[in-house]
Formats: sequence, structure tokens, C-alpha cells
Amino acid sequence: MGLDYTLVLWNKHKKTYDKIIGFGMLLYLLVFIILTLVLNPETTAETMIIRAFGSLAVLMLHIILIIGPLSRLNPQFLPILYNRRHLGVSMFLAALVHGVFSIIQFHTLGNVNPIYAVFTSNMDYGSLTNFPFQVLGFLALLILFFMASTSHDFFLKNLSPKIWKGLHMMVYLAYALIIMHVFLGAFQQETSPFTIGIMVIGFMLITSLHLISALKESKIDGLKSEKADDGWLKVCGADEIPNDRAKIFTVGKERVAIFKYDGKLSAIHNVCKHQGGPLGEGKIVDGCITCPWHGYQYLPQNGQSPPPFTEKVVTYGLRLDEGMIYINPDGFEEGTEVEPVKC
Amino acid sequence: MEAVITVFLTILGIYFSLGLLFGLYFIFLGATKVDPFMTDSKKKVRLLLFPGVVATWPFLVGKLIKPKTLN
Ligand code: HEM
Ligand code: FES
Repeated sequence: MGLDYTLVLWNKHKKTYDKIIGFGMLLYLLVFIILTLVLNPETTAETMIIRAFGSLAVLMLHIILIIGPLSRLNPQFLPILYNRRHLGVSMFLAALVHGVFSIIQFHTLGNVNPIYAVFTSNMDYGSLTNFPFQVLGFLALLILFFMASTSHDFFLKNLSPKIWKGLHMMVYLAYALIIMHVFLGAFQQETSPFTIGIMVIGFMLITSLHLISALKESKIDGLKSEKADDGWLKVCGADEIPNDRAKIFTVGKERVAIFKYDGKLSAIHNVCKHQGGPLGEGKIVDGCITCPWHGYQYLPQNGQSPPPFTEKVVTYGLRLDEGMIYINPDGFEEGTEVEPVKC
Repeated sequence: MEAVITVFLTILGIYFSLGLLFGLYFIFLGATKVDPFMTDSKKKVRLLLFPGVVATWPFLVGKLIKPKTLN
């Protein structure tokens, strides 16, 4: 929505979150180093750095993957979701330190290119217990680099949201590679039981939370709408929608938000043009539907961002019959003016 | 296996080398052509975008070459 690109969309909360991320990472590294010095005093500084940053990165990756379903289950977690990008970039930096130190430590001794050495110093690709697990880490780091480096809104817009989303869904591929990196590595190194513990508990947590939130959403989707004779869908009573708020319905395959404001009703596509935030979970502020994620605004009657902004979403026709709202499942072109229904 | 590795890493190397070149062009000249909103942006923003441009240059080259559609 910006007319020009700022460095980062800072505001006070974001700064607080960034401080929490920074201090959290420092605290973790400090505790890790102290524990290692106490429990395993022979560990060399390089090994300590490699392990501290590697385990920090997986810990952060788990937090990142848990925030999504968690905030779908409980909106209280939403503020963390908005700050997930900074968490992601910080996680990449931690993983980068781990990867670079590992390469320096293990692969710069010979006279071949160190990256080439990561792939060829152990050619046991057919083995399970002696697999060159570093290669898996390298590929994961490559994916994380693509994601971290394109996390700015500029790329969301210029790569198109579809490609951007696809790129960022690769986090699950990276996650799978990292799981294998750690477990296959554990055959060859004395991986700490703590790291293995994080991975096992984390994996169970991530899969179960994703399942629960998917189940919850499919219930919402299953509940909705009855078809009237003319193909319009009966969705709910006008009095079920609170003032300046919306209810979200599944219409056809799309999610639609029906807003009530100033004694009027309007329906727009539920997906924000910025990063796909759920518009129907937002509020009407100053007469505009305001996305709960980063505050993009749309006029309810035409789905257009107020000038000078240019975002537009699909709008839908509504009618009211004996207090019940009906919606035309065929949406209009993005930004089409629709006369609001009085209620 | 070695052949596969060599091919993969060579392609990767070429991809990022070209990305680096395009990234430099982008920072100094191309940015505003890809996205008119860049005109007002600060130098630091372009530096921040640099790694991502190196990573995704084929898409941005596409945007430069294609005639401008409505945006
Ligand atoms: C170039 C990429 C990478 C290389 C060369 C690499 C190399 C290594 C090596 C050599 C170890 C064994 C260290 C030891 O126990 O002494 C290791 C362990 C580990 N790596 Fe990586 N890695 C890379 C990328 C990653 C990434 C992207 C992540 C996660 C985000 C990661 C997470 C871990 C974890 C959690 C361990 C276990 C640490 C422990 O023992 O507690 N690695 N890696
Ligand atoms: S998703 Fe960012 S403002 Fe809507």
C-alpha cells in the first residue's frame, strides 16, 4: 500500500518484538555456551558456535511453524504472526552462521572449492548411517536464503503474490531437509540429546497443531449456506453480524466477508491484497474495512483502497429477505461498486 | 554422482553470478523501471533488496523486458 518503499514497516510494537527476538537469541546462545562449558568442557569454541547456532536456528524454525496454526486457533497470537518475517530473517542469519562455520571448520582444508567439498568430501550417498548430511543442510540453507532475501513487500508485489507464496511454502521442504540433516548427522556426530528432544517434540507439536487448525477450518467451511431457487445463497440473519464487524462465509470455493456498518451490509472477498490477511477478521475504521494484519484499507461498497492507493478486491451482490441475508455466489470484477443493502 | 554434483553446482554458480551482475544494475539503475514506487525510496532500501534481487533476478528481468501493463 505504500507509495514508496520504506526500509521496514516499523512501528512501536514491531520494535518491541524485534528487541524480544534479539534478546531471546542472545540469551539462548549464552545459556547454551554456559551449559556446554559446564557439561562438556573439552568442546572447542568452533564446535560450540556450530552447535549453538544450529540448534538456535531449529528452535526458531519450530516457533515460526507453530505460530501459523496457533494464531488460527487463538487470535491472541496474531500479533506474533505479523512479526513472523523478522523472526524468519533472524532464523536464517542464525542458520547462516552455523553453515558458514561448519564449512570453514570442515571443508576449507583441501584445495577444492569449499562448497564443492561439502558435496564431495563424503561420497557415501547410498548409505543411511554415513550419508553426507551436510548436503541436506546446505540445500535447506539455500531455500532459507531465497525466503529471507525476498521477505520484503517489494518482492511480494514484483514476483506476484502467487510465486511469492509458492516460494515461502518451501519452508516445509526446508523443514524436512533439516530434520534429515539433524537425524542423519546424529549417526556421525554426538548430536546433543537436547537438540534431538526439540526436534521430536517440535515435530509432534507442529503436525498436531496443523491438523487441529485444519479440522477447525473445515468445520467452519462445512457449516455454511443454503441455496435459494435463483442460485443465491442464504447465509445468516442480519442481526447475527455485530456492528462494524463481519462474518466470514464460504461461497463457492471462495471465502467472503459480509460487513455491517452504519445500518448497511456489504460483501467483499475475504483475502487482503497485501499478504492474504483475513479481511473479515478486521474492523471498520473511519468507514474503511481495515485488514487485521497490517492495516490495508478497503471501502466496503466497492472493495477499493481509498485513493491514492490502488488495491482492489472482488465484491459481491447481497439482498435481504425477512431479516435473512442472501448472497450472489458469482462475485463482480475487483473494485466493482455495489449498492450496500440497508438493514 | 560426481557429474551430477558438478553440473548442479556449476548451474548454481552461474545463476548467482548473473544474479550478482543484475543486482548491481538493479541497485543503481533498474529499480525504478521495474517498480515506479522505487523512485522515492532511499538508498538503504535498495541495499536491503539486493540479496533478494540476486536470488530472483530471472523474474525481475522478465518484468523489465515485458511492456508495462497496468500496475
Ligand atoms: C551449509 C549448510 C550446513 C552445513 C555445512 C551444516 C553442517 C553441520 C554439521 C557439520 C553439523 C554437526 C556439528 C557437530 O555436531 O559437531 C551440523 C549439525 C546441525 N545442524 Fe547443520 N549445517 C548446515 C545447515 C543447517 C541448517 C540450515 C540448519 C537449520 C536451520 C542446521 C541445523 C543443524 C542442527 C540443529 C544440528 C545439530 C546441532 C547439535 O549437535 O546440537 N544446519 N550441521
Ligand atoms: S495482509 Fe497485510 S494488510 Fe492485509
